[in-house]
Parts: sequence; C-alpha cells; structure tokens
Amino acid sequence: MLARDAENLYWMARYLERAENTARLIIKISDTLLDIPNGASLGWGTLLKVAGLDQLYQEYYDDANENDIMHFLIADERNPSSILACVKFARENTRTLREMLPEDLWERINGLYLYIQNNLQEASKNRRNKYMFLQSIISQRHAIIGLIACAMEQDLAYHFIKLGRSIERADMTTRIMDINYAISLPEDHPLFEITMQTLWAGILKSLSAFQTYRRLKAFHVNMPDVVDFLFHEKRFPRSVKHCLAEIDACLQLMPQSEKIIIATNSALTNLSQLNTKAMNLTKLHEYIDVSQLYLGKIHQAIDLVYFRAYETQASAQISA
Amino acid sequence: MKISSIEYASVKAYDELLDQHLRPRAVAKPLFDYLSSLDEKELQDRRHAVEATIMAMGITFTIYSDAGNIDRAWPFDVVPRVMSRREWEPIQAGLKQRLTALNMFINDLYNKQQIVKDGVFPIEVLKGSANFRKQCVGVTPRFGAWAHICGTDLVRDSDGTMYVLEDNLRVPSGVSYMLENRQIMKRIFPELFRTSTILPVDDYPTQLYNTLAALSPRSGEVPVIVVLTPGIYNSAYFEHSYLAQQMGVYLVEGSDLMVDENDVVYMKNITGLQRVDVIYRRIDDDFLDPEVFNPESVLGIRGLMRAWRSGNVAIANAPGAGVADDKVVYTFVPKIIKYYLDQDPILQNVPSYMCMYEDQRDYVLKNLDKLVVKPANESGGYGMLIGPRATQAERDQFKELILNNPRNYMAQPTLNISTAPTIIEGQLAPRHLDLRPFVLQSDKLYATTGGLTRVAMRQGSLVVNSSQGGGSKDTWIVEEDV
Repeated sequence: MLARDAENLYWMARYLERAENTARLIIKISDTLLDIPNGASLGWGTLLKVAGLDQLYQEYYDDANENDIMHFLIADERNPSSILACVKFARENTRTLREMLPEDLWERINGLYLYIQNNLQEASKNRRNKYMFLQSIISQRHAIIGLIACAMEQDLAYHFIKLGRSIERADMTTRIMDINYAISLPEDHPLFEITMQTLWAGILKSLSAFQTYRRLKAFHVNMPDVVDFLFHEKRFPRSVKHCLAEIDACLQLMPQSEKIIIATNSALTNLSQLNTKAMNLTKLHEYIDVSQLYLGKIHQAIDLVYFRAYETQASAQISA
Repeated sequence: MKISSIEYASVKAYDELLDQHLRPRAVAKPLFDYLSSLDEKELQDRRHAVEATIMAMGITFTIYSDAGNIDRAWPFDVVPRVMSRREWEPIQAGLKQRLTALNMFINDLYNKQQIVKDGVFPIEVLKGSANFRKQCVGVTPRFGAWAHICGTDLVRDSDGTMYVLEDNLRVPSGVSYMLENRQIMKRIFPELFRTSTILPVDDYPTQLYNTLAALSPRSGEVPVIVVLTPGIYNSAYFEHSYLAQQMGVYLVEGSDLMVDENDVVYMKNITGLQRVDVIYRRIDDDFLDPEVFNPESVLGIRGLMRAWRSGNVAIANAPGAGVADDKVVYTFVPKIIKYYLDQDPILQNVPSYMCMYEDQRDYVLKNLDKLVVKPANESGGYGMLIGPRATQAERDQFKELILNNPRNYMAQPTLNISTAPTIIEGQLAPRHLDLRPFVLQSDKLYATTGGLTRVAMRQGSLVVNSSQGGGSKDTWIVEEDV
C-alpha cells in the first residue's frame, strides 16, 4: 500500500473522530454552563487549554468568550480542529481514496460536509438549534462508522482507519474528562458536592457512558470512579484502555509493527500506574497531559514506521 | 417522441440517425422502433434513472471557477449514436495505420531525421515545434512506440465523409466516459441490447493494461504499473482514479515516487520502497521532471527523465510524443503515412492551409470569415477562431496574431459537422457531435470499437468539449441484419 494512501486513511479517521468528539465536547460545555451555580465560573481560557487550542485561539481572537469560542470550535476553518475543518479534511482525503473504500462512503461524508455548511447559520442562532445540529453530526458520523464496519473488507486499509480512530478517540476522551478542570468552584460552596456530581455525570453523558457506568461500575457518580472507568474500563469503547487494546489488536495483524507495539505497551504501563484513589482535579489534569504524550508517541511511531518507511530505506540505500 | 422538424429544417448537416426526410436510417431502425414503443412518461422515468445513476456512480468532471472547484455530473444524452460495423471497420483500420505512421515519424525525428533529410518534412516546421524535446533525442523506446495511447478526433462533413480533425497524442482523456456511458445504457435500457447486436467496448481496460505491461523493462516479472495523476483538482481526476481501479494498478501522485542515484524509480509504500516499471502518466511533459523541464513543477518526479533515458522505466505516452500532436504537423500526416508505410491514407485529413507559407497565408487572411483558425499547440478548443461566427474585431485580432507568428497557425474550411437527434425539452433536436476513438500501440495495435461521442448541447454550437458545456452519448457499432 502507498504510504500516502495509508496516511490519508489514518487522518480521514482521525478527523472524523475529532469532529464527533468536538461536538461532544461542545455539548458538554454548554451543559456545564447550565449546571454551575452562582458563585462558580467556567474559565474559558482554561477550557481552550484543555482542548489544546489556546495558542491558536490567541492568534485570531482578543479575549476568550462563549460566542467566539463556539464559532472557533465549530466553524472557523483557521482552526484545523474545528468541526467544519475536520470534516472538510476528511472529505478531501476520502476523494483520493474512493477506489479502496465502500462505495457509499464518499456520499455519506460528502453529505455530512454539505449538512454542516447548510446548517451552520441556523445552528448559531440559539442553544437549542446548536444542540440539534451537534446531535445530528454525531449520528451521521455513526452511520459512517457503521458503513465501514459492515461493508469494508478488514484489510490493511481498514486497520489504518481503526488506528487513526482509536488514537484520536483515546485522546479526545482524556480532553473531555479534563473539562471540569476549567471550573472554579470554592470547596466550601454550599452546592459543591451536588454540583461536582452533576458535572461528572455530565462528562459521562457527553461520552454516551452514563448507563454503562451505572451497569459496570457504580450507581453513585464521583470523580475517582468516573476517572477510573474512563481510563480503565476495557468493555467501554470510548475508554482509553479499550482504545489502546484496539490499537494493539490492529498492530498484531500489521507488518513491521514492532516499534509501535512497544510504544503502545508503554502507554498501557502508564495507564496501569494511575491511582484514582487520591485524585483531585489538578493531579488529574497533570496525569492527562502525560497520557496524551504517550498517545503522541504511538502516533509518532506509526508515522515513522509506515508513512515515512521509504525515507529510512532511501537513506540506507544512499549510504550503502 | 417527437422530432423537432423546425430545428431540423434550419440545420443543413448530415444526421447520423435520420435521412433527409427525417426517417431513421437502416442502422437506427431498431433503436427508433424501441424508442417509439415508450410513452412520454416511461422515457422521462428512464432519463431520471440515468441522472440518478450518474450521481450514484459518481461520474464527474471538475470545473474550475472563481467559486472554487466543483464536481459536475457528466451531461449524458440517452439517444445513442449508431454506426454499422461495415462502416466502422475501415475507420478502425485507418486509425491504426495513422498511429503506426505517427510513431515511426516521432521515432525518426528523435533519431536520424531521415524524413527531413529526404525533404518530405520541412526543417522550419520542426524548428518551430514547441513540443519537440531535445532531452528525448537519441532515445528509441520499446517497439519504437512513443504515443501508446492516442485519442483521435473524427468529424463527419455534410457529404457524409469522415475526417480526422486532430490526433491527441499527449494525454488524451475521455475513455472512462465511453465505458461508463455503456454501463449506464445497459443498466437503464437493457431491452435495447436484446433487439440489436451492439459490439462490446468493455475490453479497453484489459487492452490498456496489456499495452502498458508490454512496455515493462523487467521481463519475466509481473510489472508494477502506476497511473500518475496531478491530483484531485485535475479536471480528469475521476478518469485517472477509474482507470487505475479498472486495471487494478496504483494511482499515484508525483510525491509518491522517487528516483534513486541508480536512476531507478520507486514508489513510497508503507513497508518501504517498491520498484516501478511502467508509468501511465496523465500530466504534461512540462511538469514531468523539474530536473529537466519546468523547475517549478511539484507534480513531477525529480530524475524521472534520467530513469527513462536509462531504460529503467517506461513512460506512456513517452516524453516528447507531443511533437506529432501539433496542428501544423497534422497537415503533413497524409505525406507521413505515404513516406513510412508507402500506403495511401485510409482516413482523410480536413483540407488545411498553413500560415507559414506565404500563398496559403494570403488566402487565409483574405478568407478569415469563412475559415476556422487554430493555434498549433492548444487543445480543448481554446484559442481558436471560428471565422463565420466571429466579430470583425476578433478577426482583426487573429490577423495580427497570424502575422506575428505564422508558424503557429493553420486554418481549415468550416465543416458542417454532422448531428444526431438529442433529447432537448422533450423533443428530438439535431445537435452537432464528434467521435473520439482511442488507439493503443506497444507490441500490438488496438482501436476501440467506436469511441466517445461528444455532443454540443447548445443549439447550433460546434464546441463539444466538456469544459465548454459539451455532453456525450453512447456510441454503438452494430451488426446489421443480414
């Protein structure tokens, strides 16, 4: 398989996953705004940091406010992680890959792109419209995943899609988990307990994890259990552990994957060292940063081994 | 379906399917019997089905505009163009004869230049050729073939004679539409294929694969063949992707390939480098190799010409093949056929006047209102003057252009090119068309059965190019009833 095709498949999957999770992230932020009591506040600047977009945002905007940030996350093409930009990239990548993807996939992704373009204005009118718009993006994305799962041969191309999707998903799960870090709420606030419970339940809901959490983990929602669940619960498809297991399963079937397997194992080891018992928001934030670095290393290994394999071989040929 | 007799009365061209009394010609009889068995609604339904099929199959071409590039669905008319096998066979032989001679001519130009020494082809014409590539001098590709894929444009004049309008030897496109048009017709009008014996066209991808595979410099191994595309923004990207898919070969861009210091071409794969044997390139010479041609090119591959000259990779069409795809060289083709093959040309050239010769130039300048003037190296219908339809200002501008660079222009009488009935607003109206068969040459010669019929959808228009609002029809070569 051509290195460029593999790279395009991988990024197509990452962009689509990022678009869906950005939609989830925005829904979560909007809910949070409704859930926090008087005397608490949401730090917009911190929120951008959590999304990894603070520096880029500052290049184009003066201050961090709700309207600008929403536009930046949904529709600003200068932000390569905005929903519109992600779907546009995914669409461009898909065009070059039509001959190796299920027939309808192009039409689905093209349809999603057109939907976003045609409904942006309506969606920005009020919170209700925005919510419907984001939910529709999520369900259209699910149809796309369904098509890949049901109609695509599970060969190399499929593995690259799965690698991209899993890495992006693990990364975005940690970012969504980190949103509560942006809340400032004094511990002696009379509504502290109940608010924190609501906020953590909100994280679970935004990841479609609430019911599963109740069934598999605990009835009561509290930070240590939620964090433990979202990192370690192998049976839940958006948990970091599950994503890493998916990556590992793909790699076992792919050629020359030894170096990437090593990077994946390091990430798994890091995961096993997380102790959620004595957790607070700051420690969680620091741990999440480290986890994202481990995911980044898996990406680097994939990039080096598959997308730049020829460079190593070409330089070996020249020195030989 | 009603024939628009008003429109037909105003057009004095030969019609492919109807005689002068607007009765179906013998070859088109079964087709018309069938069409008249459908009522309005049925036909309308089928046409909608065709449009839906085109969208679903994703048959598109790209239009460049200020608003960004858009993919347009390929305009398709459901009434096919029909020709008898008896008429087609000599045309097919003529196409093969023509390509054979042209390849001998190109090879001669890059080597001994015997045809120039023998005084048959003037040195001035060669000197003025923008497509003669000095980097190709001294090379003889396998089988002496330079133009492996040729798309010859044919038109029929009012007396029924078929003429060659031009030989496209650089990167001719359109063959995917020929194949898709047939697929659409089979899907939407399967009954038709039972009433007539329509010769198949579907073997083209196999023939193309064989033509390319025969060029491989490594014998004994399964050749690695790639289609080289400029990328998704090219108007013919759909075709590049389609042909790669049909042949089961890789679709690559310039950045996917590299040439090492041993002048071998490699493809950048996920597990390293893989040697490439044959490149079916769909980018122009100018962009092939920044080392020798346009240094700004990001579409090509640095060192590709070294690899080709060393014989480590085959390129189809070979660099420099465009030297024979020049509207002034065109006028010499009958002489070229006679010179190399000692045969009379089977297919006629349109009579042409060369502005480089004083007497012919004077004639052209005096008769600009009757002639079509074409620049030597343009394609796609750009940069030409259709005298009878031009304004005085446009004719004056061309007079200036010709006088400044006579070698670059040739002129032809305005042909009254043939029409075929085309569905326009619920009626069958005459629309002008041409025919582009595709001819292949490496170890063997092959010509498609029929080709791509392009039709000018606007009333009275003679411009069939898709970039300028043209559409297409399925082309049938039929076995006549015995």
